[in-house]
Parts: sequence; structure tokens; C-alpha cells
Amino acid sequence: MTEAPILSVSGLTKSFRGRRAVDDVYLDVYKGEVIALIGPSGCGKSTLLRCMTWLEQPDDGFITIEGQPFGRERRGNVIVHQSRRTVDALRPKVGLVFQQLNLWPHLTVLENVVRAQTVVLRRSRHEAIARADGLFATLGLSAKADAFPYTLSGGQRQRVAIARALAMDPIVMLFDEPTSALDPELVGDVLSLLRQLASSGVTMIVVTHEVGFAISVADRIAVMDHGKIIEDGPKTQVLDNPSSERGARYLAHFARTTSYDIAREEPV
Amino acid sequence: MAFDPHLIVEYAPLLGEGLWMTLRIVVAAFIVGYALGLIVALVSLLPGRLPRAGVALYGTILRGVPFIIVLFCVYYGLPFAGIRLPAFVVGTLALAIFNSAYYAEIIRAAIVALPRGQFESARAVGMSPAQAMWHIIGPQILRSLVPPSTNMTLTMIKESSVLSSITVGELTYQGLVMQGNTYAPIECFVAVGGIYWGVCAVVSWLSVRLERRVGLAQAAQINRNRLAASFLSFERPRS
Repeated sequence: MTEAPILSVSGLTKSFRGRRAVDDVYLDVYKGEVIALIGPSGCGKSTLLRCMTWLEQPDDGFITIEGQPFGRERRGNVIVHQSRRTVDALRPKVGLVFQQLNLWPHLTVLENVVRAQTVVLRRSRHEAIARADGLFATLGLSAKADAFPYTLSGGQRQRVAIARALAMDPIVMLFDEPTSALDPELVGDVLSLLRQLASSGVTMIVVTHEVGFAISVADRIAVMDHGKIIEDGPKTQVLDNPSSERGARYLAHFARTTSYDIAREEPV
Repeated sequence: MAFDPHLIVEYAPLLGEGLWMTLRIVVAAFIVGYALGLIVALVSLLPGRLPRAGVALYGTILRGVPFIIVLFCVYYGLPFAGIRLPAFVVGTLALAIFNSAYYAEIIRAAIVALPRGQFESARAVGMSPAQAMWHIIGPQILRSLVPPSTNMTLTMIKESSVLSSITVGELTYQGLVMQGNTYAPIECFVAVGGIYWGVCAVVSWLSVRLERRVGLAQAAQINRNRLAASFLSFERPRS
């Protein structure tokens, strides 16, 4: 690809009490890509996503969003931390869907999606509601706009969380294990939703254990282990010709658990 | 010596004056104390160790010393600093500061008890910490603040009687005046005690109504609990 990446991560490092959760990670994300970020539990996938939204401040490394530095930048020879305001202003460009969703229980579904638009993007209420309605129509939530989150099913909550992030018009969506907190029956729904988003051109990084998703929807697979990205490339290349022995072992295990899911998850 | 209710009737205007003073002091101390407590609670949540340590020190000092001592320190200390204020202002201020430490802990605990994800999801869509507090955290903790704050306020109402020791003409002070004039301690203190009880009863009745009202308006607690419960059991809520 010749165009510039819309999101670029370089040398990102984050330690917790001396343990490197994210270790010198480089990742360029191009427009329209769907990246499956996989790897064993505790390998730093979630921390990487949290660093990419600056919810977790990385110890080292740089992030750029559409070429603009995010969080910290290099000015000449010095590294400057951006003001909280600058970080807050850039943050909505990266939409994060939390593993636990973290919907706001005191607000209706509509208000969950509208509030940040009016407060952060300073859209008029009218405009924000129009945006929310558009998303609800796509995501099948129109009938639930006035409901409170606790009345929704797991899959519907997931959709609300996705709508809340999408309403901010992010350039990339990050999903932290979108299927892990769901009923097995609902996993298929969420995966087809992600597929739908992918086909409408949303750029996304999906942390997942769902092999079916990685294989059928993603066009690029990145494998993390011990905080490092050990494999990264087009899905066929990563699956067929992993470049590292550790990656090959993990992927072999990953693929074994898969055939069933792939069969079930035929594109719709 | 028989209990003489006529004495109470006779001294009702004096006690009423005391009650009026007590009410003004308590309302002012509540407003100032709660505002101060809110500030202290928010400071304690700032990143870094220093704010938390400073607030912890503030809390341990104020919560570890009897109110009357704090009162005397302020009352006799201020003139040394060249500040001369009327006794009831000093007393109200001392009451506000003393209780702010407790209010701060109540507010802090309510904020900390919310799942951290609530704050993070607000920050993730670009809200500033202040916006997250105002739109997301604040409305969710309002209801749970009411019962402990009421307890603290009832204590404060009763503790305001200590202000009589720095010559503030509040209810207890006027009761002591009445006793000095009549040599009828039982009548005096039964009357004064009854009035305190009445004030506290009204406040707790109001707080129950307030709690219900905030609860109905927001239903936050219930929603959150159900949401949390259904996540924990991985169960689809029956709707």
C-alpha cells in the first residue's frame, strides 16, 4: 500500500511493576483494514488497545493518528507530552469498545449515544439525535432508543456500545474481545455485525479468540506474545507461512480449534 | 420538685430564638461543608500521590480530634492571625470544616465504588475528567450519597450545640440561659432535647423523600445493579 497509515504505532512500550505488558510494538493501520489481534491470554493485547487510546499512558513510543502525533510528540530532540486537552480532542478519533462495554446505566440507549456527541463534539442535540438514529437503523436498535441498558440483551448492549463509539466518527474502531462476555448463541450475531461493519468500510482492530472471525472477516492477522507482535501480515500469509516458530505453534493450536467455527461462520 | 411545663411556655420565645440561630448555623455549615467536602474528594482523586496524601492528612487530623478542640483552636487561633470574626461565624466555619472531612470521605467512597469502566468509557469518547464527573459519575452516585450524608448531617446538627461554649446564642446556649434564670434543669433540657429531636426527625424524613425522589428520577442504582448482576451471571435479563 502506498497511502499513509491512518493510525501508526511505533516502539510502544508499557510496563506494570517491571513486567513488560507491551514491548516495543510497531503497527501501521491502513484505511479499510480489518486486523485481528490474537495471542494467548495476558500477552498484552488489551493493554495495547488501552495505550492506543491513551487511557493507559505508554512508557515509551509514539502514536500518530492521520499523521498527527497523539499523546506525546518529538519536538527536535525533546519528547513533549501533549496537554490533556489535546489528547482529549484526538481521542474520539479512536473508537474503543470495551470488553465489559461500560454502558452508562443511568442514561437511555439514545442518551448513551447522544451525550458524548453534544458534550465533546459540540453537535446540536438535533444533529446528534439524527446521527444516533442513523446508527440505530443500521444496527437494528431503533426500537430500543428509549430503553435503559439493563433491559437489553447482551447482543443489543454490544450494539449500543458500538453505536456510542461510531457516533464520534472515529477513523478506526478498536474492539476488545467483543464476544467474550456474550452468550455463545449471540457470538454469531456479533460476528456478523462486525462483518457488516467491515464491509461498510470501517477500519478496525479486533482483539479476539474467535478464530472464525479472524479467518473469515479479517484481512490481516497480528499475533502477540509476551507483549511483542511476533507475526503480522495478510491473513493467508500469517496462517500458511508464519515467520516464527512460536507464532507457528500458536497458530497451529489456534487453527485446530477452528474448523467448526469457520464452517458455522460462513459470510452472510 | 414537680415538672413545670409553664416554664417551657414562658421561655419559648428565648428557645425559639436559639432554634433560629441553630438552623441558620446548620444550613450554612452544611452548604459550606459539603462544598468543601466535594472539593476535597475530587482533589483526592487527582493523579499522583501528593493530593491523596494531603487529603489523607486533612482527614486524619479532623476526624481524629474532638470537635470542641477544633472549635477552640479556630476560635482562639484566628485572633492571633489578626482575624476577628463574630463568634457565630467562627463557629459555623469550624463546623463546616470539621464536617467537610466526613463529607469528603462519603463522596470519595461513592465515586470509588463505581466501576472504573464508567469513568474510562466517558474518557474514551473524549470527555474531560470534569465532563465525565458531571455527566456520567455524578448522576450515578447522587442517590447513594443521600443516606450517609444524612447521618453525618444529623450528627452535625447535634454537634452544633458545642457552639454554646464559645458564646454563640444557639439553642443549647439559650437553654443554659433559661436554666440559669429558673434553676429548673429538667424543664430546660427536656425542652431543648425535644427541639433537637424534632429538627433531626424532620431532616431524616426529608432525606427519605429525597432519596426516593432521586431514585425515581434516575433509577441509577437499580439499573447498575441489574446490569452488573446480569453480567456476572452471564444471564440474559428477562425483559
